[in-house]
Amino acid sequence: MGALGGALIGVVIAIGASTALFFGANWLFDLAVDRWRTFLATSGALVGALIGAVIAGNDVAGGPLWLWAAVCAVVGAAAGIAASLLGTPSKSSRTRLSERGRLVTFLGPSLLFAALGLVIPLIRSIYLSLLDSRAAEWVGLANYGEILTNPNSLDLSGWTEIFTSRLFYAALVLIAVGLGIGMAVGRRRGRTMEALPGSIGPIAIGLFVLSFAVFTTLRGTVINNLWWVVVVTGLSTALGLAAAVLADGVRGESVAKSLIFLPMAISFVGAGIIWRFMYIARPPQKPQTGFLNAIWVWLGSLRPRTGGAWVAVLILALATVLLAGLCAFGVRRRQTAFAIGAAVTAIPVLWLIYRFLGPGLGGSVPGPTGEPIAGTILFLQEAPFNNVWLMVVLIWIQTGFAMVILSAAIKAVPSELIEAARVDGATERQTFWNVIIPTIIPTITVVATTLIVLVMKVYDIVKVMTAGNFGTQVIANEMWQKAFTELNFGLGSALAVVLFLAVVPAMAFNIRRTQRADA
Amino acid sequence: MSTVTASSPGPAAGGGRGAGGAIERVDRTGKLIYGFLRRIPTWVLWLMVIVWSIPASSLFLNSFRTRDAQRNSGWWESFNEGGWTLANYSEVLGTEQTGGLARALVNSFAIAIPATVIPVAIAAMAAYAFAWIKFRGREWLFIVFVSLLALPNQVALLPLLQLYAGGAHWTIPGTEFTLTLFPDFDLAGSATAVWLTHTAFALPFAVFLLHNYISSLPGELFEAARIDGADHVTIFWRLVVPLSVPALAAFTIFQFLWTWNDYLVAITMIGSNGEAWPATIRIASLAGEFGLREHVLSAGAFVQAGVPLIVFFALQRFFVRGLLAGSVKS
Repeated sequence: MGALGGALIGVVIAIGASTALFFGANWLFDLAVDRWRTFLATSGALVGALIGAVIAGNDVAGGPLWLWAAVCAVVGAAAGIAASLLGTPSKSSRTRLSERGRLVTFLGPSLLFAALGLVIPLIRSIYLSLLDSRAAEWVGLANYGEILTNPNSLDLSGWTEIFTSRLFYAALVLIAVGLGIGMAVGRRRGRTMEALPGSIGPIAIGLFVLSFAVFTTLRGTVINNLWWVVVVTGLSTALGLAAAVLADGVRGESVAKSLIFLPMAISFVGAGIIWRFMYIARPPQKPQTGFLNAIWVWLGSLRPRTGGAWVAVLILALATVLLAGLCAFGVRRRQTAFAIGAAVTAIPVLWLIYRFLGPGLGGSVPGPTGEPIAGTILFLQEAPFNNVWLMVVLIWIQTGFAMVILSAAIKAVPSELIEAARVDGATERQTFWNVIIPTIIPTITVVATTLIVLVMKVYDIVKVMTAGNFGTQVIANEMWQKAFTELNFGLGSALAVVLFLAVVPAMAFNIRRTQRADA
Repeated sequence: MSTVTASSPGPAAGGGRGAGGAIERVDRTGKLIYGFLRRIPTWVLWLMVIVWSIPASSLFLNSFRTRDAQRNSGWWESFNEGGWTLANYSEVLGTEQTGGLARALVNSFAIAIPATVIPVAIAAMAAYAFAWIKFRGREWLFIVFVSLLALPNQVALLPLLQLYAGGAHWTIPGTEFTLTLFPDFDLAGSATAVWLTHTAFALPFAVFLLHNYISSLPGELFEAARIDGADHVTIFWRLVVPLSVPALAAFTIFQFLWTWNDYLVAITMIGSNGEAWPATIRIASLAGEFGLREHVLSAGAFVQAGVPLIVFFALQRFFVRGLLAGSVKS
């Protein structure tokens, strides 16, 4: 327990010393008003002792530190008394001096820490990023050029493959559907486009899928970071909003919210380990111990065109009929969003039917004898989608954050506003989309920008789960490896500065927004 | 109060009213379907809760299973197979040779306690100064200070490590004379370097959060105290600190969890000095030897998470308030 004891003693000493310093300074500046000569003598002695310590510490001259400090303190005190003989300033200027001094005692420690720990290191990082790997030669912007030209950090060579990927066409279809619905409803209401869940939803999902098409074909560290930002920010915010809305006013609300929020308390390292256990893949002959592969292999063992599969197909077909009915119901009642919801739900159901009838569900591959055996997913090794499985970990953590903030915002929507909407005959759904959502848009923006900043700096999860291998490298991990493993100070600093520049816009936006809210 | 049922068809489902038993029956069926649909959002919520709980609870169950059980079957089999044990926890709380975390947990406290107490104290003073002491350039300085929130920790790591490892020196141009600007305290590899760094990194957020709260305290109170002859020290100590307890508590919890769970700063400043490793690095290194000690890894991860989980459940309200204050002005 030595370390803890040492730390506690350190804390007690630090607090004691700071308190002594704080009240000492306070006493000193009290003297400035009432007893000018004592004040000058004391401060002269303190300044002298400090100068003496610097002289001794730098070996300007020989002699022990305490001697130099003591001698200089006496000299300083004498100088102070001598200065006081020249006359005493007016009471008002002495009071001003004492106020100034108090200000320094309040602000000084924070400013000192911030300057030494943040401002000066930032300047030095920028300087180091312009030097070579040993911090010896001036290389200008070469390190930044290296980041942009190295195919490991930015590889755009495969961009033509975007147009051959299935994701791309799925995205186009979704966007077209969204635009079509928006325009159809718009025409009915005399506008070109109508923004409503049924049109915005497919367009948003389409853009999301499109980003997958782009990010899976363009590769590299920088692209990975952008992918992280899009996916984690988008899904955490959306799922957090969904959880906040679904839980609002439900029985057991606090239990549900606690459980979704709980991962926030776990470290990124711990979360990485938790999910490594989820993602374990074992050789196909052995039973799977990872939860996700166990499900996948179990689904794979449900062979198509057997008795069980027919039953499943029958149930799914019934579900399709039900969904079709709901869709028709929605169309008849002009509940567009409802109809779309039913139609969208039908897509995975139809897909399941297809898998049951055709290629089979889940993981199974032909074995050596042609008999199907279990096929596992190597969640952490199979590029480029292993990136997504890493993102899942951060989504798991951050959804709770988004939920808590958005839930507070929803509860803070003035009840008069909701009442007014009700009186005007708005349905619950109309109240939600036209009153609650517009009111909490600022909060959604804050959540999203906060997440962008956080995700941009993602490090621990990648480090613990893949160490940046298998095409999962991100800027923060690359920076750490360059600076502290390869000791390439120039490139490491340049990567850190890139990270800084990437974060600044979102952070500036966030701070300015909060400042405006303050005013 | 706003109960939102995003996919319910609305009250229209019970429409088409008329006379006659048949229609009544249809009506009742409609209500049944409507009631069913109405509950879908709640089911979706609880489904989400279950999905969110699976990862952590599966690790939790695994941490009570023997090495063989963990290696050969999933946790869901343990309900039939058994194979329960507490040995993992006794190993994890033991010495390093068996993957023990005892020393690492002590180190975590040795980092997290000073890294929480010191920023809270000095940030509260700075927040008071920014809020209630008038001086020239106050707004400007505050904005600069809070803008430091935008700095990713990575930007400061390398220069800080160099500062801790060798101090800062400046050779005066044209002379042979080197001035020591910051002495070499040989801090690299120690817990001190970690909490010093955490202190600096925490300040912009701490000042920002506490300033939000302290500046909203009633100014008349301080005016009255000043008229009674109280100076800034007395006002701060007697009025501001007691009144700001909620904000101070919120930040304290937030910062404690943050530093307890930190990996980046600790691995940078401590590096390979295993004796000073906090629990996060310790379990990450256990994960690095996956296979060798995977049976204690789950217990280790849970022991490391134990402290924040206790804090979380005991002080959830303050924790949430800290988060809220951090992102939106409440």
